[in-house]
Amino acid sequence: MSQTERPAWRVAADPDTVERDLTRLVLTLVELVRQLVERQSVRRMEQGDLTDEQIEALGVALMRLEEAMGDLCDHFGLRPQDLNLDLGPLGTLLPSND
Amino acid sequence: MPDATYLYAVARDALPECPAGVADLPVRTISRAGLVAYVSTVPLEQFGEQALRRSLEDMDWLAETARAHHHVVDAVAAATPTAPVRLVTVYDDDAHVRDLLDRRADDFLRVLARVTGRREWGVKAYADPAVGVGPGPRTSGDGNGEPCPGPGGGAGAGRPGTAYLQRRRASLRGREQVRRQVLQRADHIHRALSALAAASYRHRAQDPRLSGRHDWMLLNGAYLVDEGRDAEFAEQAAALGGDGVEIRMTGPWAPYSFTVMEMG
Repeated sequence: MSQTERPAWRVAADPDTVERDLTRLVLTLVELVRQLVERQSVRRMEQGDLTDEQIEALGVALMRLEEAMGDLCDHFGLRPQDLNLDLGPLGTLLPSND
Repeated sequence: MPDATYLYAVARDALPECPAGVADLPVRTISRAGLVAYVSTVPLEQFGEQALRRSLEDMDWLAETARAHHHVVDAVAAATPTAPVRLVTVYDDDAHVRDLLDRRADDFLRVLARVTGRREWGVKAYADPAVGVGPGPRTSGDGNGEPCPGPGGGAGAGRPGTAYLQRRRASLRGREQVRRQVLQRADHIHRALSALAAASYRHRAQDPRLSGRHDWMLLNGAYLVDEGRDAEFAEQAAALGGDGVEIRMTGPWAPYSFTVMEMG
């Protein structure tokens, strides 16, 4: 039996909400890239092919990015769980943190 | 508009009466090769390939059709060993169903022999994501004060960036570890229950939205159990829960998970 559902996440072309929806979409993609880079950095740190300085620089940059994401979310009234896309049978774009 | 033949299930015996089927249509039987097929005559207007492609997108239609389909299958299965057929299996006409019974008689009889005197039970195991999956809340807010990290710069004694990455590593590792533990637990439950069952099958875990639960489903198993061992099986299933895992047992069902045959 194939599982069919109306998409729960869509950008509605309503002038009142379109800005927020687009912001949400953009922030979601930024968050995805941020998490990917973070995982990749952890992996490279574990492999030991980064110098201490590189690790520190990466860590600080990623930390700043996370803070910036938090500020942006606050600014637009979004919660962390809002920054996720439902990909249907594939699950969600980002691992759920709840 | 021409008609088609909708197939619900195959059994060895014909029931004197049967509940109404999909779209409230009457259910009749086709006997052939020592087998009995339970069917309805359905309009192609609703059950043709094109109409179905549209209808299957319609959750309400699907729910109603599935309910009617299972109602018929359950009624037959309650009375006699039954091989249910997948939802929305439609043949051009009765001749095709007779042909199917002729060609696959041995397969059907083998399947029916396998489910005779046995019933299917579903066992689902859930873990509370708040307890079972705990990467912890987002960490932020410590280690400011450092200037913008230019290349080669930012080598203070605190090294907040390194500390941050190490925290992330611990968190990712912890999550991976929890995932592995949970999968091991699910394997253990499945093995213990399979030992009591004549056959077992692991379905894919359900999407939390379909089951209406937020818990993480770690096991979605189906077990074909001898009728005399129902109590023992239920006891074992209950005993495997606890320690953060909730066990839900459902059934008895018609043996859907153990009778699926590819219908050529």
